[in-house]
Amino acid sequence: MTDYGHDLLFGVFVTPTAEPARQAVDAAVAADRAGLDLVTFQDHPYVARFADTWTLMSYVAARTERIRISGNVMSLPMRPPAVLARSHAALDRLTGGRVELGLGAGAFWDGIEGMGQRRLTPGQAVDALDEAIQVIRAVWDAGRPGGVRFDGTYYRADGAKRGPAPAHDMKIWVGAYKPRMLRLVGRAADGVLPSLSYLPGGVDDYAQINRHIDGAATAAGRDPAAVRRLLNINGTFAPTGSGLLDGPPEQWAEELAGMTLEHGISTFILATDDPAVIATYAAEVAPAARELVAAERC
Amino acid sequence: MNLRHRLRIGALVTHDAADVAPHAEAAGYDLIAATGPDAWTTLSWIAGRTTGIRLLAAGLTVPGHNAAGLAALGHDPAGLAGLAALGHDPAGLAGLAALGHDPAGLAALGQDPAMLARSAASLDLLSGGRLEIALTGEPGVLTEAIEIIRGLHDTARPGPLRHPGPRFRIPGTQRGPEPAHRIPVAIMGPLSDGLIAVADGWLATTPGELRDHGKALDDAAVAAGREPGEIRRLLVVPPDLGQGDLLELVMEHGVDTLLIPVVEAADLGRFAPGELRDAVARLRPHPVPAVFKPASVRAKRHPGIKYDAIPGSLAETAIEPGDPGYRRVRSTYLRGGAPGLVLRPRTVTEVADALAFARAHPHLPFGVRSRGHGISGRSTNDGGLVVSVAALDGIEILDESRRLVRIGPGARWTDVAQALAPYGWAITSGDYGGVGVGGLATAGGIGWLAREHGLTIDKLVAAEMVLADGSTVRVSATENPDLFWAVRGAGANFGIVTSFEFEADEVGDVGFARFAVGADDPAALLVRWGRAIEEAPRDLSGQLILGRPRRGQPNIAQLVAVVDAGDPRTVVDRLQPIAGVGPLYDQNVVLTPYAGIMANASPADHDGHGEPVSRSALVEHLTPEFAEAAARLLDSGAIHWFQIRTVGGAVADVPADATAYAHRSANFSIVVMGADERRLDAAWAGLRDHFDGLYLNFETGRGAAYLNDAFPPATLARLRELKRRYDPGNLFRDNFNIEPGGTR
Repeated sequence: MTDYGHDLLFGVFVTPTAEPARQAVDAAVAADRAGLDLVTFQDHPYVARFADTWTLMSYVAARTERIRISGNVMSLPMRPPAVLARSHAALDRLTGGRVELGLGAGAFWDGIEGMGQRRLTPGQAVDALDEAIQVIRAVWDAGRPGGVRFDGTYYRADGAKRGPAPAHDMKIWVGAYKPRMLRLVGRAADGVLPSLSYLPGGVDDYAQINRHIDGAATAAGRDPAAVRRLLNINGTFAPTGSGLLDGPPEQWAEELAGMTLEHGISTFILATDDPAVIATYAAEVAPAARELVAAERC
Repeated sequence: MNLRHRLRIGALVTHDAADVAPHAEAAGYDLIAATGPDAWTTLSWIAGRTTGIRLLAAGLTVPGHNAAGLAALGHDPAGLAGLAALGHDPAGLAGLAALGHDPAGLAALGQDPAMLARSAASLDLLSGGRLEIALTGEPGVLTEAIEIIRGLHDTARPGPLRHPGPRFRIPGTQRGPEPAHRIPVAIMGPLSDGLIAVADGWLATTPGELRDHGKALDDAAVAAGREPGEIRRLLVVPPDLGQGDLLELVMEHGVDTLLIPVVEAADLGRFAPGELRDAVARLRPHPVPAVFKPASVRAKRHPGIKYDAIPGSLAETAIEPGDPGYRRVRSTYLRGGAPGLVLRPRTVTEVADALAFARAHPHLPFGVRSRGHGISGRSTNDGGLVVSVAALDGIEILDESRRLVRIGPGARWTDVAQALAPYGWAITSGDYGGVGVGGLATAGGIGWLAREHGLTIDKLVAAEMVLADGSTVRVSATENPDLFWAVRGAGANFGIVTSFEFEADEVGDVGFARFAVGADDPAALLVRWGRAIEEAPRDLSGQLILGRPRRGQPNIAQLVAVVDAGDPRTVVDRLQPIAGVGPLYDQNVVLTPYAGIMANASPADHDGHGEPVSRSALVEHLTPEFAEAAARLLDSGAIHWFQIRTVGGAVADVPADATAYAHRSANFSIVVMGADERRLDAAWAGLRDHFDGLYLNFETGRGAAYLNDAFPPATLARLRELKRRYDPGNLFRDNFNIEPGGTR
């Protein structure tokens, strides 16, 4: 049993469909109105049928009122870290602190290379991500005197101006699965964001994820609870249960609460574009799961 | 100086002043320009907070491999001298200043042209085609960047985009997204002949720059085979200039876009946009409201269309064959088309402008389109004009106590259903949510609630329309009652309705059922189904669909029924007789809001091909004789689609002379479709004796015979008289044309 005591967040993973453009916006607005905590978008700039994730996030930010917004996750090879830092901070200021930075080391390298960016090996990509997090935090550290100086293998800054600082303590959530990346998360990030469908052993694989993160965090002198545990999920609402996250909302609530209490997962991001599913998730799953967890924790 | 564009007034803001954008829009500014290192984020945010104002991303820096070179040119990349001089030092400015001597920062902030292309297309799509960009950088770099941007946006070109360099290397990546319109790309800073040849605009940051380089720009444009006016001139307005100075700059240097630095809302009052525009209009010898299109676009123009005379209000949104986005508007749901020009008015005034343009082209096919689902109206054509009112898509509750709703012709019925659902209301429409309001609400509207609530036109209490002469009228039972009568059934002949006022019905959850029943004896099935329908209470409406019998396969009919009752017992009671008309192979029944049934609209653009052939008829009863004739028709192989919808009930409560839709006594509306018109007509003729008129929205036939079937003699005579009065020149001729000079 591992539970880090984080408050529970419920979000959605919305397809950033380019056309019709309103489809993704409508889903995000529906999630905002339904009272969900988070709306997130994948970032694959080499896929032409998707809208640019950052543009969409900025537009959605203007059309929503209270929901938090994040990439899930931003493609580092396509987006220089200083740009990520400054644009996220700028939008965070416009929204009064509703933006988080979901970050990934890159996937689909053929697509990345096809747009003219360099192809990295998995090991190099972890190192680049490590450097990027340092650059991002340095840019955000607007109060520190002097420019950003960074002499890395992948990123360099020679006195680049710092700031703007985000409006709130912006979190860096990293898409991660493998030990080296997980150790980086434990050492330097604020959250880990894997997808349930990519965990070969299902949610129980999260025990390994936690083990790597917690060990690295402790070794770096951090409290493991400084790292939020997030999870992208898929599911279907059905009158009768026939599998994990395939059944009535009360079944979902029990299953998700179980994941919180067993593995400390505290953010559940559901892949859906369907306003009806969003409404059910917000109204019937989120409050019930929160109640179940609260009852067990006290 | 040759002024070729309408004057536009823009507000130039940085991140810190993003909140003034809605005020700028309300104050009549034409454009909001965002600049600074967060320009893109700021502008995307502003797009979400505004509805119609143009959006300019100004000063996007495109670094090449020689980023430091830009700084060496001593150029103020974002043209912010004006802002700084106001005495403010917004955060964005400090960042910009740093760019000049911070190569590392510059590289980090700079725009990768391929990413910029995708971002720009995305923002253009999100904002409904409002985006423009102004790039800065070394001329060679910009020329290449523009080539990449245009190449990525051109989804009509086959294969991935490859770009070999020298400054940018793109091995191969998918083209797209395609923006909503051709995004104008302006340039800033150092110029070169190559760059001037491809730019749509030039942004000068000081009047001095205009004086120093304006002539060279003109010369280079001419040398590149362009007209100087093709390149817009944008100017950042210095703080110390008054209106008189601005007018001088405009007239002397042909500036068409003035960007006024705005740090706080009060700065918006420095100039009155309307006053400036009027003052310039007064100084001009001739009105010159054209939008310039590049030669590649002009090359695809049709000789009979006066493209350069497109009214200024419509020029920016008009789409011609060479424009990006033409693919999205050329065809309709069932018809392939290649119009020479699609005008897309956004306001009532623009509709009148569009009609003036249409009046000047009497020789061309002329179609009016709400959302392009119709088949009787030629809302696309070959080489002619189309006026699309898709942008007039507002849905507004006027009076909750009376359930009074105002809806634009370009709204889709799924949007209407969704907007009314929270109130527990619905307006009966057709059977498909993607259909536009305008086409249905000017012809009839035979839908899922017809027997209970009547036709769509029966819910209409008033409308505003633009007539052939460009005048605007309101029609209702008490205002222009003759036109109100005509618009409900023959509206397409009299004008373009710009808004409808409906009285919605209270409609809760409904039962929605689909049955597959055996139809080995289709004639017997038709008789049994027809009887079950006529015996059913009015809260049941529905349809029957039969296909061509296929040898060796059981013949199946699809029955769909909607019960306007939320109580499951009532739903089952009503459905049992329908399900019992034949051996039941499959069934699916759900309780759903009306909006749930209408949520079947495809979001994709229409891409119909060819020319549909359909025939429509209204029938009182499905008698055994009719059914036998219908069975022979199905057997003939001349049709591939046979559908009967229920009317009667509330539809028949309305007197036949109350609306131009007159065949009120029919209980059934039949539509058939075939591939070969002559063959279809030969087979269809066998049913003629049973017909009592036709419903024009389902009929592709044209000519006097069809008019006589659509309208009884007295109705047609009255329509003809009104046509002579309101459209003597026969401007509206694409949908069941009642010729003013005709006699029958």
